[in-house]
Amino acid sequence: MANSVVEVADDNGNVVSTKGVESALSYQDLNAMINLWGNDQKLQLEKDKLAVRKYFLEHVNQNTVFFHSLKERLDYLVENEYYEKEILDKYSFEFITKLNDLAYSKKFRFEAFMGAFKFYTGYALKTFDGERYLERFEDRVVMVALTLAEGVEETAISLVEEIISGRFQPATPTFLNCGKKQRGEFVSCFLLRIEDNMESISRGINSALQLSKRGGGVALSLSNIREYGAPIKKIEGQSSGIIPVMKLLEDSFSYANQLGARQGAGAVYLNAHHPDIMRFLDTKRENADEKIRIKTLSIGVVLPDITMMLAKDNEDMYLFSPYDVEKVYGVPFGDISVTEKYYEMVDEPRIRKSKIKARDLLQKIAELQFESGYPYVMYEDTVNNANPIQGRINMSNLCSEILQVNTPTTYNADLSYDQIGKDISCNLGSLNIAKAMDGPDFGKTIEASIRALTAVSDQSNIESVRSISDGNHKSHAIGLGQMNLHGYLAREQIHYGSDEGLDFTNMYFYTVNYHAISASNKIAKERKQTFDNFENSKYATGEYFDKYTEQTWAPATPKVKELFKKAGVSIPTQEDWAELKKSVMKHGIYNQNLQAVPPTGSISYINNSTSSIHPIASRIEVRKEGKLGRVYYPAPYLSEETWEYYEDAYEIGPDKIIDTYAAATQHVDQGLSLTLFFKDTATTRDVNRAQINSWRKGIKTIYYIRIRQAALEGTEVENCVSCML
Amino acid sequence: MEKTKLISRPVNWNKIEDSVDLDVWNRLTQNFWLPEKVPLSNDVQSWGTLRPHEQKLTMHVFTGLTMLDTIQGTIGAMSLMPDARTQHEEAVITNIAFMESVHAKSYSSVFSTLCSTTEIEEAFRWSEDNPYLQKKAEIVLGYYNGDDPLKRKVASTLLESFLFYSGFYLPMYWSSRAKLTNTADLIRLIIRDEAIHGYYIGYKFQLGYNEASKERQEELRSYTYDLLLELYENEVKYTADLYDEIGLTHDVKQFLHYNGNKALMNLGFDPLFPKDDAEVSPAILSALSPASDENHDFFSGSGSSYVIGKHEATTDDDWDF
Repeated sequence: MANSVVEVADDNGNVVSTKGVESALSYQDLNAMINLWGNDQKLQLEKDKLAVRKYFLEHVNQNTVFFHSLKERLDYLVENEYYEKEILDKYSFEFITKLNDLAYSKKFRFEAFMGAFKFYTGYALKTFDGERYLERFEDRVVMVALTLAEGVEETAISLVEEIISGRFQPATPTFLNCGKKQRGEFVSCFLLRIEDNMESISRGINSALQLSKRGGGVALSLSNIREYGAPIKKIEGQSSGIIPVMKLLEDSFSYANQLGARQGAGAVYLNAHHPDIMRFLDTKRENADEKIRIKTLSIGVVLPDITMMLAKDNEDMYLFSPYDVEKVYGVPFGDISVTEKYYEMVDEPRIRKSKIKARDLLQKIAELQFESGYPYVMYEDTVNNANPIQGRINMSNLCSEILQVNTPTTYNADLSYDQIGKDISCNLGSLNIAKAMDGPDFGKTIEASIRALTAVSDQSNIESVRSISDGNHKSHAIGLGQMNLHGYLAREQIHYGSDEGLDFTNMYFYTVNYHAISASNKIAKERKQTFDNFENSKYATGEYFDKYTEQTWAPATPKVKELFKKAGVSIPTQEDWAELKKSVMKHGIYNQNLQAVPPTGSISYINNSTSSIHPIASRIEVRKEGKLGRVYYPAPYLSEETWEYYEDAYEIGPDKIIDTYAAATQHVDQGLSLTLFFKDTATTRDVNRAQINSWRKGIKTIYYIRIRQAALEGTEVENCVSCML
Repeated sequence: MEKTKLISRPVNWNKIEDSVDLDVWNRLTQNFWLPEKVPLSNDVQSWGTLRPHEQKLTMHVFTGLTMLDTIQGTIGAMSLMPDARTQHEEAVITNIAFMESVHAKSYSSVFSTLCSTTEIEEAFRWSEDNPYLQKKAEIVLGYYNGDDPLKRKVASTLLESFLFYSGFYLPMYWSSRAKLTNTADLIRLIIRDEAIHGYYIGYKFQLGYNEASKERQEELRSYTYDLLLELYENEVKYTADLYDEIGLTHDVKQFLHYNGNKALMNLGFDPLFPKDDAEVSPAILSALSPASDENHDFFSGSGSSYVIGKHEATTDDDWDF
C-alpha cells in the first residue's frame, strides 16, 4: 500500500525536485495558491498537484494503518467489526484477490487536491478513534462493488471497471457506506407527504428524525395542512398554520446529525395556492422575526400553470383553504390539479379563499431568491404532463431532481397505521459524461450503473418509516444522473449552450434514455417482475415511446456527429426504439423511475468532474463545507487551451443554461437540479424573466438562484484568480 | 467645525455630487446583514474540538475586535460626520456607524452561542486589563478627539484597514483548518464591510489631501507613517501576547504588514513594508477574498454570498407569449 504513494511522487516528480521553498508550505497553502496568480501572472495549477503529493506524504501515508497482505487486512477488518462479514462471504478469497488486483492495476490517481482531501476526510474507512485510515480509494471501490454485486462475480468486475475508471460514481451514501459494519443507509433522499391531521404531522416529524439519523435529506409536502386561522373541530380561527410545523421540522433536523458527520437537512414544499404562501416565503426574509424565521430548512414552491397564466394576464390569483378543499373533494389539496379545478374552486362557495396578485407572488419569490437563494420552484403541470406513471406528483426533494408519485397514509386512533401509503426514496449515482464517452462500451456502462442502483434499491429497507420501505419495494425507483457536461464540452472545445453544446446534450441524453430503459427491461425479463402498477403506466400502453418512434432523432451539427462517431457510441435508431417498445410492452421494466440529475457536490470532486450539467461557477472554485473549511478546486482539464471554453455560469447567463437543461429534460423521466446564476446587476425582473423562460421551455424544477457580487473596485485581494472575472 | 450650515437642506439623492457616495451607499445597503443570518450554532461541535488555550485565545481575539468595533461605531465613524464633504457622505457614515455596531454585537452572538457566561466575563475582564489592547484604544481615541479632520480620517482608515486584522487572522486560520467555519462566514461578512469602509474613508481622505498645499501634504504623509509605526509597535506586542502560545506570531505579523500596506494604499500612499515581509499564507489570503464567489450546499452554512435584491416589476412585455 505504501509504495503506490511513491508513484504519486513520480507522477509529479519533475515539479517537486526543484523548489526547496515550496516544501515549506503546507498542503492547504499549496492548494490555496491556485487561487492566486503566480509571479509571472500565470495560473499555478501545478501547485495543486504538489498539494496532492504533499497531502499523501505528510498526512495520508503517515496516518494509514499498514497490513502485510490482503488477507491480514480483511481478517482484521472483519474481526474488529469494520467490514461486514456477510458481504465478503459471498465470494471466494481468490476472487476478492483478483478483484483487488484489478482495482490496483488501474493506477488510480487523484487529479485534484480537493478530490483526495474530500475522499479521505469524508469517505475512507477510519479507525474508531477517527485517527487513522483503513482504506485507500481502490479498497473503497472494491468494497462497493462487492456489496452491490450481491455475490455475482461478473457484476463485481464490471462495477470495479466502471467506478475506478470514473465512468460511474455512486452517490455519497452508497459510496460511503457500502461494506461497512457501522454505517448509515445507502439511500440519500426521501420525500414524505404530510396530511391535514396531528397524527400525520407528528409521524412526519418522527420520520424526519429517523431518516436524518440514517443519512438522508428529507423533503416534506405541507400543501395539505390547513392554513392559519382555519377551524379545528369546526371552531373558527384555531389553526396556527404551517409555520409552527416548519419550526418543529427545522429543530428536528438540527438535532439529528449523522454521527456528527453533517447536519440533517430538510426541505418543505408548498403549493402556490395555499393561503399561507406569503407567510411561508417570509420565513426566509433577512429581517424576519426570530419566532418565524427559518434558517436551515430549505423551502420550495409548487407552481401550477394557472399561476403563470394569471400572472400573464396580470390578474389576481385565489388561494384556497386546504381544509375546505379536502372536505369538498374528498382528497387532500396536494392531490388536486389546481390548474384543472381552478375556476370550479373559485365558484365553489364552500371553499374559503383569499386573493393576491399573481405577479406580486412571483416577484416576491424572485426577491427572496436574491436574499436567500430560496425557494426552489417546481412547475407542477409540466412535471405531471411528462410523468409516465399513474398518479400525481405534488412535491420534489431537497435537490429538486426527484419527481415521483405518492399516496397518503392514514392512522388509527392509537397512532398505528390504518392504511400505509406510498412515500418516496431515491438512490442516485452519476455518470461522468466525458469518461462515459471515452469508455469502450457505452451501453454496458449504463447497464452496469442501472444494475448497481437497482441493487441499492433492493438492499434498502427503511423499517422505521413504513411508507418509505413499502414505496421502495413497490417502485424500485432509481435515479441515474450525469455530471461533467461542461468539462466534456470544454475538453472538446465546444462552448456551453452553443448550438453544438445543445446538440450534444440532446443526443447524449437521448442515447442514455434508450440504454437505461433497455437495462431496466432486461432486469424485468430476468426476474419476471416489473414495478408495481406498471400496467397502468404509459410504458405499458407504449404511449411513452411515441416521441421516439414517430420522429427521427439525429445530431444536427457535424461536430456532434463526429464526436459520437469518434467515441464509437452508436445513436439508437427509430427501429431500435420500436424494438424496445415492443419488449417493454411485453415484459415491462423493473424500475418505476430511472433517471434524475442531481447537483453532484462531493462526488464530482472525487470524480474530478464539473458538477451535474451546470456550467462551472468559477474556473477556480472556492468551496466551503462544514468538514473541509475552504478548499480550492480547479475545473477539470483546465489549461490555456480550454480556458476560453470555461466561461463561468455568471458569464454564460440563465438563458443558455435553461436551453441546455431543456434539451436534456425531454429525455429524463424525473427532474434535473437546475441552478440559475445572475450577476449582481440583475434585478428581480431578470429573475422573473428567467422563470418565465424556464416554464415555457418545459423545465421541470428550479433549484437555487445564485447571485455573484463582485468585490467593489479597490477592495479586492491582490492577485486573486477567482475575483478577477 | 469648518462648515457652519446656516440653512438646513434636505438631502437630495437625485443630485449626486460624488458618484462614489452613491456606489458605496448602494453597496453597503445591498450588503446589509444581521448576525442572526449565520447559523453559528453549527459551530458548537467544532468549538468543542479546540483545546482550552485555543478557545481562550479565540475569545480574547474576539473581545479585542469587539472593542475596536465599539470604538468605531460609537466614536470613530461619528467623529467623521462633521467633516463630510457632501450630505450623501453623511448618510454613508451613518450606515458605517450602524454596521460597526452590528459587528460589535455579532461577536456577542458568537460568544453567547459558543461559551458560558463565566468565560465571557473573563474575556471582557481580560480586555480591560490587557495593556496593549488598552493602549491601542487610547492611541486611536486620542486621534479621534483631535481637531484635524484629515488626520481623523487617517486614524479611521488605519483602524478599519489595519488594526482589525490581527484579530481577523484567527478565524480565517481556523476556517482554513476546517474549524469554526460558520463563525468564519460571519467574520467574512464583517471583513466585506470593513474593506469597503476602509476604502471609502481612504478615498475621502485623498480628496482632501489632493486639495491641500505641498507642506500640508508632507505633514499628512509623515503623520500617517508615524501613526502607522506607533500603532504597529503596539500591535506587534499585542500580537505576540496573543499568538505566541500557539506559535502563529510570525504569520500574523506578515499579515499585519500586508494589511498595513493595504491601508496605505487606501490612503494613496506607498507601501511601507517590503513585499517579502508581507507574504501572507495563501490559505489565509484566499480566504479573505471579499467577492462572493464561494460555493456551498445546503449542508453547509449560508455563506457570505447573498445580497438584498433590487426590485423591479415585470411588464406585460415579459409575459408576452
